[in-house]
Amino acid sequence: MTDTTSMTQASGGGLSAQKLGLIAVAVLLAGLIAVPVAVGDEFVYHIFITICLFAALSTAWNIVGGYAGQLSLGHAIFYGIGGYAGVILVNLGISPWFGMFAGAAVAVVAAIVVSWPCFRLHGPFFALATIAFLEVFRVLALHFRELTGGATGLMIQLNIGWEWMVFRERLPALLIAFGMLLVCLAVAWAIRSHRLGFYLVATRERESAAKAAGVGTVKVRLMAVSISAALSAMVGTFHAMYLTFIEPESMFSLQFSIQIAMFALIGGIGTVWGPLLGAVLLVPITEFARGALGSEAIGLHGFVYGVVLMLVVLFLPNGIMGVVHRFTSGSEKTEGEQAAPVAAAPRSAVPHEAGREVMRVEGLQKHFGGLHVTNDVGFTLREGEILGVIGPNGAGKTTVFNMLSGFLKPDEGRVSVLSPSGEWQEPATPADFATLGVGRTFQIVQPFAAMTVEENIMVGAFHRHPHVGDAREAARETAHRMGLGPYLNAEAASLTIGGLKRLEVARVMAMEPRILLLDEVMAGINQTDVRRAVDLMLSIRDTGVSIIAIEHVMQAVMSLSDRVIVINSGQIIAQGDPHDVVRDEHVIEAYLGKEFTHA
Amino acid sequence: MTLKTLLTATAVSALVAGAAQADVKFGALYPFSGGLALLGEESFRGVELAVDEINAAGGIQGEQIELVRGDAVDNNQAIGEARRLISREDVKAILGTYSSSRSIAASQVAELSGIPYFELGAVADEVTGRDLQYLFRTNPTAETMGIMTIDMILDEIAPGLGVEASDLVIGVIHEDSAYGTSVAGHQEEYGAEKGLNIVTVQGYPSSTVDMSSLVLDLKDRGVNIVLQTSYQNDSVLFLNQSAEAGFEPDAIIGGGGGYSLTATEEAVGALMEGVLDVDFTQYAVNTEFTPGLEDFLVAYQNKYGEEPRSGHSLNNYVGAMAVLEGIGAGEGFEPDQIVAAVKAIDIPAGETAAGYGVHFGDQNQNDRAMMMGMQWQGGKLVTVYPRDAAVAEFQIGD
Amino acid sequence: MDTFLQIVANGLMLGGLFAIVAVGLTLIFGIVKVINFAHGEFLMVGMYLTFLLSTGMDVHPYLTAAAVAPALFVLGALTQRLLIQPLMSARDEHVQIFATVGLSTALMNLALLVFGADIANTPAHGVRSQVMLGEVRILTGQLWVFGAAILLVIGLQLFMKKTRTGRAIRATAQNRAAARLMGINDKFIYILTFGLGAACVGLGSSLIAPLYPTSPTIGTYFVLIAFVCVVLGGLGSIPGAFFGALVIGLVDALSGFYIGSDLREAVVFTIFLLILILKPSGLFGTRMNLSHVSP
Repeated sequence: MTDTTSMTQASGGGLSAQKLGLIAVAVLLAGLIAVPVAVGDEFVYHIFITICLFAALSTAWNIVGGYAGQLSLGHAIFYGIGGYAGVILVNLGISPWFGMFAGAAVAVVAAIVVSWPCFRLHGPFFALATIAFLEVFRVLALHFRELTGGATGLMIQLNIGWEWMVFRERLPALLIAFGMLLVCLAVAWAIRSHRLGFYLVATRERESAAKAAGVGTVKVRLMAVSISAALSAMVGTFHAMYLTFIEPESMFSLQFSIQIAMFALIGGIGTVWGPLLGAVLLVPITEFARGALGSEAIGLHGFVYGVVLMLVVLFLPNGIMGVVHRFTSGSEKTEGEQAAPVAAAPRSAVPHEAGREVMRVEGLQKHFGGLHVTNDVGFTLREGEILGVIGPNGAGKTTVFNMLSGFLKPDEGRVSVLSPSGEWQEPATPADFATLGVGRTFQIVQPFAAMTVEENIMVGAFHRHPHVGDAREAARETAHRMGLGPYLNAEAASLTIGGLKRLEVARVMAMEPRILLLDEVMAGINQTDVRRAVDLMLSIRDTGVSIIAIEHVMQAVMSLSDRVIVINSGQIIAQGDPHDVVRDEHVIEAYLGKEFTHA
Repeated sequence: MTLKTLLTATAVSALVAGAAQADVKFGALYPFSGGLALLGEESFRGVELAVDEINAAGGIQGEQIELVRGDAVDNNQAIGEARRLISREDVKAILGTYSSSRSIAASQVAELSGIPYFELGAVADEVTGRDLQYLFRTNPTAETMGIMTIDMILDEIAPGLGVEASDLVIGVIHEDSAYGTSVAGHQEEYGAEKGLNIVTVQGYPSSTVDMSSLVLDLKDRGVNIVLQTSYQNDSVLFLNQSAEAGFEPDAIIGGGGGYSLTATEEAVGALMEGVLDVDFTQYAVNTEFTPGLEDFLVAYQNKYGEEPRSGHSLNNYVGAMAVLEGIGAGEGFEPDQIVAAVKAIDIPAGETAAGYGVHFGDQNQNDRAMMMGMQWQGGKLVTVYPRDAAVAEFQIGD
Repeated sequence: MDTFLQIVANGLMLGGLFAIVAVGLTLIFGIVKVINFAHGEFLMVGMYLTFLLSTGMDVHPYLTAAAVAPALFVLGALTQRLLIQPLMSARDEHVQIFATVGLSTALMNLALLVFGADIANTPAHGVRSQVMLGEVRILTGQLWVFGAAILLVIGLQLFMKKTRTGRAIRATAQNRAAARLMGINDKFIYILTFGLGAACVGLGSSLIAPLYPTSPTIGTYFVLIAFVCVVLGGLGSIPGAFFGALVIGLVDALSGFYIGSDLREAVVFTIFLLILILKPSGLFGTRMNLSHVSP
């Protein structure tokens, strides 16, 4: 599901599709105001106000549930907080326009408190946790009667006027609801088309890769949750004014939370316009169904609702927007050979002179339970050097890498990196390493499948270029250099393994690293691609990047490395010139066994 | 698609509504679907029977009454339906609503539009606590229920047990929605006023599957009178689990809800014997005090082919009759004319099928509204309090 | 002291009740890795079936388990085959959750349609008679439930560890791809497991029906509590679900007495949250039970 395709300007053929889409949305939005005004009936006004409310809430929910991928089924917490804040303040004589923001502030605090500890939980468990929190809130709201009015609820005084958001006519209420919908949509669109959106999707897709690309995964999700909570609370305040009466059961309702999420799902989770479509479609249908079936027999309406939900989930899992996409996505074929990389600078035939030290690794130790996986590993990396790391499977090479990029903390020992300004620093988290210019790839490729190639690389590029436009430029340039130019608009998932490896490297390169950690980039690709990859790595080095590469493909190791380190059972058993190392008897013994040391 | 659906729906309902132009329309806003549907529907039946009766006798001010239904399945819906009834159906007033929350929400809409709203069955205080001009309530409230419970203790139970009322150890338990909470609150307040010893007031979720801890707590405190306001599930649970724990208070007084339902009696069998209940007037009552009750039962049976499932239909019937006949005795159907007509209603106690009179006093609440005290005897719920309305002896202490 | 012992006894019995529901859930959860929001409705369906058979044929409700458990097995198997299986390859896990939410809504309203909102009471046939253990009173029915829960746990453990099918199930849970390579039909395993989990609930419902009033909404409460027990005990661990349920039963009873009836739910859910946040592998879980947490 390439949900940003319609937003990027890259696809020439998609331009009219994108424009058409925007026009359709604009017409829809205009209709939300025009229709009730034209029909002029109070009931119709009510329906459309309800549509706007649900669409706004679903859009706000989508920021967390869709973009960030955290399925929250307790979003009514924030809506309820907004409602209660509004009503309590109104009864103290404070206008709900102010109460709205007070409610939003409280909701943001609640959101951070509730979500932060739960981010580590995967899908269903995050959902369960949010449900549990919602229930706790509801019970507490019932319990603290003096504040919330308890089970009998709270009412507002019927003061008429814009100041109090209470009106005799319906149009002002519709305007406010519509206004809130526009705000939510605008915020959702803004997030999606700027850095935060990219970071959220990346975090949702592959958290480790996102971290390696310098994304503060916890920070961005907290931002998403806070924004979503604030918006939901504001809508809650308005709705409380519209209802003029609130109670815990309807304000902190699990049913309601599920409904909001449902509209987003049916419309298209993770898309900007999906929730709006879901609400526009479902609210009138539910009304109609209730009117037609409601009093026939108790439960018939609910039964049909449940069945319809199951059917939609089975046959339209990507929602309405998914269907729309299938019709509008143009030809994004990925046939044809991958282009050769464009060299940034000519290759020098002379063995490279290594410069000053840029990374020092000293005395690394690591245990996993009783297993001693890293035993006194230490070496230095010089500027412009290519350091090969080889060793049998299970020797602990990736473990060392993880400690060199902040994904694992060593039990003992130190990793120091030279900062651009010349001091030595000891970074701890992946974000720290990324800031210092250390980039890494992963042994098993981790593309952000929901994004195009261009967008994947942009995630890395954002590290240096916070603005979308600059990041896109940088990404394109990097893509061309890596030979991925023709594939900019293809979905990452459609590339071959060779392409994916290249993409992985491209994404890291877009971060403009000074030190590059490559974990078996040559694994599983064919001969031609290996040669290309070697050329690529050399050209990268020529731009001044220092490389540490774990490799099994000997051909590559020999032709690339200035120096080689051999790791076996967590220890360094040999270091030095590649040709010397492979003849070292300890190395041969490690790879092939004792019998072959004198072969 | 949206527009078309709506326009179609509008057209359809316009056709249906426009059928009888010469009639006067009243809205009937009840929960017809969702969790409250059973008793919402039951309540509505009372209104329907009242309208049938009045129309058969010639209608009001020469016009036949047409009832337009609105489904108040949740608060947001209640508002929407109220709006529809007022703006599209052009009803002269709205009758409703069984649920206090729905009533509060919908009546705010009616007030803003200046349309009279007649609450016939919801009991929470807040319904008539808002200084609204156009809202009237005919039925007794949570406060009435709370007060009557305490009065029953003072007048009948304490003497029946041969002790001072203040020596009794009273426990109040209730389900945690607006209904249970408000009744329990009044029991606590009025009981304290009368010097009763209420040792605990505890709420619980009505969906609970286990009340054994609560029972043990009451037993531990030496409670001998239990006041419970509950729905079906929790009434059954409490009665069963009390018996099983060997907890035998001298009296259990229910606050309507599950305690008025035959289904509960069928579930707990002999445990129900002697259990007391305060609720809307039910059917085994001294009919001298409730003229018209028997006719009502006959009409109900004829129209719906079964016995009333609860006292809600009766109370809505009584309220609707009083209000509609009151409007009929007045002039015109404009909101202020209706208000004037209704304010002039003055029916003494003992002259309605529910036994209580109708007169709108402070905050437009019927100050003659009354609950009845009842007891399960021989598998039937019979009225035992007040004495005027009693059809059986108050059995306490053996 | 007597009161305290009684509360503890009540709590343990309540725990046994939760355990029967939770064991089926942890099976489905742990093996098929699906969050089944309709699990409570499975219980509700089972209880209604027990009610119908028991009153219709005038037999002891426990005997109806012979029909109810297989019926629920079929229901579970169908759910897996028709609803979950097509969605297993969906990229978002969300869709599975919504699918079972839809199922839950449909089942609950179907019950409302068929049986109405009134409670249904299965005749007790003597299970409400009391047994005295010292000063503590327990219902015979509660002892049956507790005993059945223990037998169920032992039976399932034996099945899982000793039989071929059981091993196949465990293999599929641990590594689906590898299991397929070994010739195990993973689709069939999932259907079997879902059915088995539902059958456990079916068995439980026949035991529970004479003790508690049945209504269409009875499932919603149970499903949340069951999830708490399962997480507490460690995802996929059957003995864990049992002990987790006992803990929750005790907490429920004790907090109901000492803290207050209105806050019981809050206490239970707070414990749930603390476990999820602080020790997500559960009280009795191992690192193996951590598929629901990212590193």
